[in-house]
Amino acid sequence: MLAGTAIYAIINSVILALMAIGFNLTFGISGVANFAYGAFYVLSAYATWMMINLLGFSYPVSVLLSILITALLGAAMYRFVLMRVRGQALSEVIATFGIGLAVLELFRYFGFVGFEYNLPVFADYSFFIGGAFVDMQRLLIVAIGVVLVLGLWVFTHHTSLGLAFRGIAQDERTALTFGINPDKIAMLAVAMGAGLAAVAATVIIPLGTISPEEGYDVLIKALAVCIIGGLGSTGGVILASFVIGFAERFTDSYIGSHWTMIVSLAAILIVLAVKPSGFFGKQKELEERI
Amino acid sequence: MTVTPLLQISKLSKSFGGVQAVSQVSFDLNEGELLGVIGPNGSGKTTLVNLISRFVKPSSGKVIYKGRPIHSLPAYKIVRLGIARTFQMVRPFYQLPAYKNMIIPLFSPRVKGLVGGKYGDRDAVALDLLEEVGFERDAHVAYKIAGALPQGYLKRLELAKAIALEPDLIILDELFSGLSLAEVASIVPIIEKLRLQGKTIIMIEHRLKELFKIADRIIVMNYGEKIADGPSSEVMEQDEVKNAYLGTE
Repeated sequence: MLAGTAIYAIINSVILALMAIGFNLTFGISGVANFAYGAFYVLSAYATWMMINLLGFSYPVSVLLSILITALLGAAMYRFVLMRVRGQALSEVIATFGIGLAVLELFRYFGFVGFEYNLPVFADYSFFIGGAFVDMQRLLIVAIGVVLVLGLWVFTHHTSLGLAFRGIAQDERTALTFGINPDKIAMLAVAMGAGLAAVAATVIIPLGTISPEEGYDVLIKALAVCIIGGLGSTGGVILASFVIGFAERFTDSYIGSHWTMIVSLAAILIVLAVKPSGFFGKQKELEERI
Repeated sequence: MTVTPLLQISKLSKSFGGVQAVSQVSFDLNEGELLGVIGPNGSGKTTLVNLISRFVKPSSGKVIYKGRPIHSLPAYKIVRLGIARTFQMVRPFYQLPAYKNMIIPLFSPRVKGLVGGKYGDRDAVALDLLEEVGFERDAHVAYKIAGALPQGYLKRLELAKAIALEPDLIILDELFSGLSLAEVASIVPIIEKLRLQGKTIIMIEHRLKELFKIADRIIVMNYGEKIADGPSSEVMEQDEVKNAYLGTE
């Protein structure tokens, strides 16, 4: 049972990391807290569903197109809304949350709710590992999560655009002296964050159904993981995902499923009590207040 | 035959609310010249740098670079035209090793435009550039995290980042401040070498003795206005400069 629980805890952790990594990337580079993140997640899933079921596109084409469309919508949101309020944290949150809310509630208003709104799994078979059956979709989630994190590391450390991303993340003013356009980089960061939300939706949604509630759920989970990990820190996101992911699954298996939320919240509270800016947070003023 | 100046500043002004930080400043700068800008604290020197590099938008006036008006361009485009600047308060990427601080300028649009993306091993280029500005290769200082370096090395790093951009005009904002006499003496040859390479340089400085040794010309600022312009020996003799800058009668 222990091995099986551990395997599902790892899968749960990777799912959390996938849900949070796009939000974290956008915040880490541009400082924008994209509260429309959950809406992008759900929107991409509905887009894929519509392309498959209404337009008759093949599954791979639908997935690629919906990732691209979601990223473009992220870029458009930055270009036409966020660029005007950038640097004013509260305005950014209100603007993005408002957009997210409108998108999610429009889907609800037009009746996109029900079990028929789901996405196909990549492959429909299971393996028996560590005393538990694990389906192929969950294994693929782990594989895609690992590839995505490694890909992001290579991107940010070995490409000129990635280096520009890191430059802006560390000091926008200094990056400006190197001829880097901060608005262009921030727009790309929001677009990439939205694109990553679409990738996460593509692999995670087949485990359940598409619904507007998923948007709120993903946003809250992404926020929790990023705050515990330390906003903007990729290593922090991974560590926080594993802390929450393991806390949830082990509580579910050994204490009871109704305790899952309580134990997860306790884990969050303990981390924040000891380390107010999260595992790898850089908000030193938070550390110095306690 | 008349030579077009590399940089022409014409009636440049900037006010912050009711404060006139820079007022109607005009001057030309020829290619290969080293111009020193001096003045008391709050005289508008750094604002002038910010206006030229477009970190601050001018209230009025013109900045012409290589015959082209640049005062309406955003800061990042000005860098791409070949104007590099340093900051009075150093601004490295503190969490990166010194040589990795060089990688981002070496990957910058300006450098890519010049070398066509074929720069070779950027780590090696970064280490060479740092050695040029005084990072002793044997001591492995270049591999240390920038946040752990003393002020002298951070100033050198600031200079190296500007040089990495292969600029035609370098603006150095109080490069010597916070440095010992020995450190300044070791940086002066680097600046002289840049001049030999044909670089045009503007130096904002409070360290007058060291500046006067290397500057071709000095501009004196006071209350946002240019009050003197000429060789150091001449400007420091002007009564207005003595009164305003040195506070002597």
